[in-house]
Amino acid sequence: MVVAIAINIVLGYTVQTVLKLPIYLDSIGTILVGVLAGPIAGLVTGAASNLIWQYAPGIGGGTIGPFAITAAVIGLMAGIWGYLGVYRSRPASGPRLWLAAIVGVAVILFLASRIYNNPAYVDPNVGGYPGWVFGAIVGIAVVASLGVAGFILVRRDVAGAWVAVAGALTGIVAALVSAPIAAYVFGGVTGSGTDLIVAALRQGGQDVYHASLGQGLFSDPIDKTITSFVVFVVLASLSPRIVARFPLGERIVSDREE
Amino acid sequence: MSLTGGVPDFVLPPPTGPYRRLNPTTKLLIAVAEALIAFGVRGWTGPLLVLAAVAASALRAGVGRSLLPFLVATIPLVASILLVNTFLYAGATDRIVVIGPLAPTWTGLSFAVQATLRVVAFAMSAAVLGLTTAPDELVADLERRGMGRRTAFVLGATVRSVPRIIERVREITEAQRARGLDTEGRIWRRVRGLVPLAGPLIFGALTDVEEQTMALEARGFSAPSRRAVIRALPDSTAQRGLRWALTAGTLVLLVGSITGLLGFVP
Repeated sequence: MVVAIAINIVLGYTVQTVLKLPIYLDSIGTILVGVLAGPIAGLVTGAASNLIWQYAPGIGGGTIGPFAITAAVIGLMAGIWGYLGVYRSRPASGPRLWLAAIVGVAVILFLASRIYNNPAYVDPNVGGYPGWVFGAIVGIAVVASLGVAGFILVRRDVAGAWVAVAGALTGIVAALVSAPIAAYVFGGVTGSGTDLIVAALRQGGQDVYHASLGQGLFSDPIDKTITSFVVFVVLASLSPRIVARFPLGERIVSDREE
Repeated sequence: MSLTGGVPDFVLPPPTGPYRRLNPTTKLLIAVAEALIAFGVRGWTGPLLVLAAVAASALRAGVGRSLLPFLVATIPLVASILLVNTFLYAGATDRIVVIGPLAPTWTGLSFAVQATLRVVAFAMSAAVLGLTTAPDELVADLERRGMGRRTAFVLGATVRSVPRIIERVREITEAQRARGLDTEGRIWRRVRGLVPLAGPLIFGALTDVEEQTMALEARGFSAPSRRAVIRALPDSTAQRGLRWALTAGTLVLLVGSITGLLGFVP
């Protein structure tokens, strides 16, 4: 748990400063602990990460503390995915592999269509994205679909579809949990690039909460899906001997050892 | 240990000044109370009250200038809050001025400034705690008050391990750059750098877990008996009274704000 919390703190910062990517990836450690050690360990790691990051003498500061609840929920969900064996490698070939690729693409396109067609975002009486956001939704959906399908087909691993579903669902729940926090505590924004989406929704007439929720439902599934794939690749690269030592390790390595 | 890797905290001279000499738990409680009041007491009262308290404690502790980097770190968030809310506040009609398509409103500006004050007050309260409290002392004092040894270990070890992991990330980044990792190119090239950067860090960290576990077990970490806490940090009846008063006062303010019983400035 200690190294997971430190990884959350350091890696989130590194991804934004070294690779300069507009994503958070500050929950890799939380998801890793949840998947390996279960829901309670994931929950505690998530909450402790944000609280320690906020208050620990010497590394504290910033404004991440209030999102401890979101981080806890992400850790809890990761534990459930770990318990269900979502991150277990499932080598396959032939029709089963293609079916998994189609399922992965279908999930992404379904989520994109829900955002694209949601009356809350397209009805001018309620609010609405400006035109460029719709273009971005289509572009991201196409790239994500190709990425997930390519991942499944190149690695010949059906688990990619499950990881995509788990990451997207985690992102949706994270958005639902963090929207009221961002709206109530920070006036709906977070100080990152995703505030452009908040601004676009506010310009369309959305109130603080719905603009924050709209931004979260747009960016969190992307962020958590990428994070989930990074964790999956890392777990697949670890030796079964190390993974099997953790409480849920058997649920990750069983197929690989067959 | 000091986070900068220098002299351990326990061989440094004791802190000077009345605020720095406060018991670490008292300072933690002050920071938590300030956070709750900043966000929980609506209107101008909460954030202004906390800002005044933070300014007073920072001056007493002599860390006024050290707060500047923490203040600068809030600029992106503060700028976003001010711009989005002042110019795009839904339903507000009391325009300050109309400049082409832009129409900032007084309602939006008022909301934005309040949110800004809350964020700054919260960030500064956490920063004052960090600048005036040694991690080891805080963990030792919390353990003396009954916090479980596992929780104490997680708190203490995390704070100590962050500088070590930062150093490891620096080494990994340099090594991967030497192998062709692109950290400046197009976005898809930088995305490809995620796993080469995160992978070795996580592999190394998970390997460390095994070594740390064995080292802790060898030192009786799982022993059923209660650990003896050697370092007794100064505390006093006045500070105990302060902590109770702070807890009660914070609760009164929060309940008063939520129920509307206290007439705060809106």
